[in-house]
Amino acid sequence: MRSRLRSDYAFSRLAVLLRGLLVFALMALCLPCRAQADPPPVLFEGELRILTSALAVPGPELEYPADRPATKVRLPDDWWVSRPKADGPVWYRLTFDAPAQPDRLLAAYIERVCSNAEIHLNGRIIYSGGRMTEPVTRNCHYPQLVSLPAGLLHDGENVLDIKVMGYALQKVSTRQRSGGLSVVKVGPQAVLEAEYASDRFWSLTMVEVITVATTMLGLLVLCLGWLNPREPHLLWFGLMTLMWNVMSVRILARDLPLDNGTVELLLGAGWAAVTALSVQFLLSHANLRSRTIEICLMLQCALVPMTLVLAGPHRLFVVMSAWQLLMVCEVIATMGLYLFAVWHHRKEEFWLMAVTLFGLGALLVLERAVQHDLLDPLRPNLAHFAMPAVFLVLGTRQLRSFSRALQDAEAARNSLESRVAEATAEMERNYAQMAELRVEQVTEKERKRIAGDLHDDLGAKLLTIVHTSESERISSLAREALEEMRLSVKGLTGKPLPVADALADWRAETVLRLGQAGVEADWRSPTEDLTQQLSARAFVQTTRILREAISNVIKHSGASHCKVRCTLGESDFVLVVQDNGKGIPMELDGKLDRGHGMASMKHRAKQMQGQCLVESGPGYGTVIRLTLPL
Amino acid sequence: MNKILLLEDLPEIRSWLKALALQVFPNAQVSEAARVHDALALVSAERFEVALIDLGLPDGSGVDVVAALRENQPEAQSVVVTIHDDDDHLFPALQAGAFGYLLKEQPREHFVEQLQRISQGEPPLSPSIARRVIAYFAAQNKPQERPQALPHVSLTDRENEVLLWVAKGFTLPEIGVQLNLSRHTIADYVKQIYRKLNVSSRAEAALEAQRLGLFRR
Repeated sequence: MRSRLRSDYAFSRLAVLLRGLLVFALMALCLPCRAQADPPPVLFEGELRILTSALAVPGPELEYPADRPATKVRLPDDWWVSRPKADGPVWYRLTFDAPAQPDRLLAAYIERVCSNAEIHLNGRIIYSGGRMTEPVTRNCHYPQLVSLPAGLLHDGENVLDIKVMGYALQKVSTRQRSGGLSVVKVGPQAVLEAEYASDRFWSLTMVEVITVATTMLGLLVLCLGWLNPREPHLLWFGLMTLMWNVMSVRILARDLPLDNGTVELLLGAGWAAVTALSVQFLLSHANLRSRTIEICLMLQCALVPMTLVLAGPHRLFVVMSAWQLLMVCEVIATMGLYLFAVWHHRKEEFWLMAVTLFGLGALLVLERAVQHDLLDPLRPNLAHFAMPAVFLVLGTRQLRSFSRALQDAEAARNSLESRVAEATAEMERNYAQMAELRVEQVTEKERKRIAGDLHDDLGAKLLTIVHTSESERISSLAREALEEMRLSVKGLTGKPLPVADALADWRAETVLRLGQAGVEADWRSPTEDLTQQLSARAFVQTTRILREAISNVIKHSGASHCKVRCTLGESDFVLVVQDNGKGIPMELDGKLDRGHGMASMKHRAKQMQGQCLVESGPGYGTVIRLTLPL
Repeated sequence: MNKILLLEDLPEIRSWLKALALQVFPNAQVSEAARVHDALALVSAERFEVALIDLGLPDGSGVDVVAALRENQPEAQSVVVTIHDDDDHLFPALQAGAFGYLLKEQPREHFVEQLQRISQGEPPLSPSIARRVIAYFAAQNKPQERPQALPHVSLTDRENEVLLWVAKGFTLPEIGVQLNLSRHTIADYVKQIYRKLNVSSRAEAALEAQRLGLFRR
């Protein structure tokens, strides 16, 4: 709703703008062209004679009807001015002086004769532009260069009769197509040839070249649009360009197998199609497509030929002019809407499109001004090749944005690929984690089962031994076995343990045991926050070593005091157990008593790539120093 | 005269425990059970002051008996007597209302001493249990994890402090020295911790049961 209001607003603003523009253009361009004084009948321009005056007699005769009254006309003679309601043919008689035996070949050059002409020199036909009856050859855009055979030239005054076949303005759709004769230039053929070639180049060759170029472009864009249904504006642009080029055929093709009325009717329908396609292109490019507008455009395409038929061949121009004015307004309004949308959504495109569309709009307004006789037709007709030039700009723009879109798509594809790869990696990771988790769960379950079995069977039996054995030694061994079993079960978890928790457990056990045995305990370990982890195996083995060391202190040393020091390094940790007991007695072979479990302590330390050093001497107490990598 | 419930499936151990119980409570009357089922029947029939309860039993877990005692005879002191020393086994029993635990393989004199302490209101507390209790209350105190309807049971600063010291491996007497508190006061803190753990756990369990539509009065 809101965008609708906005576009209405844009329309009304545009209309005001256009009116201003039109008035300005008229003031700037019309004023100088109208005020012209009556020129002399023959002007001399270097070697050229420019014939600006003729006697005109309408009539279908085969020769200049000298017997009928002639009117004197000034060239260029535009029929819409001199005979607005009448068709051709019209005979023109021009006279010029020429030397009898000119040193160079002479020629006559007619910039514009519409629609076709036959030329007689001194009563003898020397040139025909094509068919003079329906379908009349369409030479309106073709300049005519006619050689004047030296044999036919008289010394002195020569008579050039030109029979022009054309149509009244109301029977054609554009002013350029209505009958008329421009000034005739007579002079050396070489000189006129150059002017002819230049005119022909700008009026026709250029149109041909551009038509071919834009046709290729249009086809290319059409193909792209066809292959990319999501970019409908490409399709519209291709169709618009091709349609315009079909319309260009009216300029280039001289002999069409259709009479004038039919051709003009088709052209009218063609303009409606071009308008519809342009509007569709601009709207879809700005993502502003509306079903209503589409229907209206289709309706217009049908209505234009219908109204032309209904109005009849004698009111073709006025009806077509009204239609074309409407179409130009439609296109310009759409341009405004388009620029408005682009300004809000794609600023980077705005300026190029603005300049192009303003140029196009100005051309359309100028063309309209010409058709409404507010401006003299410009030669060469700007619209014939300026419009395709605009298409060229628009087309390359489309191609560029398309290739950019391709690049974007490529980039998007790459990023998508990498994202897919990431997602795949993530999934694989998750899967691995899940598998790991599952293994962990199964392991945990199994561990619990084993632990339960051990406790229920082995534990119960050991416990029974502990509490029923007569021998203190056996029950103590069974108790140790039970503790050992419990520790083994703990080691089964495989879960690493924070060093801080391990230290706390060791401390509690050590202090409790020493306290129960009446040995003063002095435990020191790092108190700051410890982040290191200890593997389950390291924990279990260290617990065993520490337990053994403390057991030795309690059972054998006779110490009253036991110091335990624990320090953590970068990559290892050190546990020192020192007592003030009587030390470990040497065996005969110089080794320490095996009964004190020293060998198993050392063995356990070695298993974990660590070492366990024992320093002891009779009377000096014992120091056990355990170093383990973390 | 004390009445003692003794739940233990191994006959030798049961008689050993009975002897110890009688050593601590000389004139007590000991009701023995070898299964959870029998123990529950005894709980509903008689009133006990002390209960020695084994956890791993042929027909279930002693935790159920602890819970039943806590529910029906709140004044009874449940002591878990077990071969398991890990918090996975002990913590649920403590949550259910056990007032301490004893490891069965301990020498007679240690066992007696600890049982005496428990009966005098000085339950033991190991570092791993303390860590578990800390983690439990930390989770309870996170508002987003705690249901609104749950009564808020939280530990005092002192109780927390005691727990932290225990978790670091300090013994209760050591903590008393550290905090300049009497042994009796420290024991009271530990008792409070056990009580709050049980209250909070029971409330949580009740709420969970209500949520599942299982709650019956």
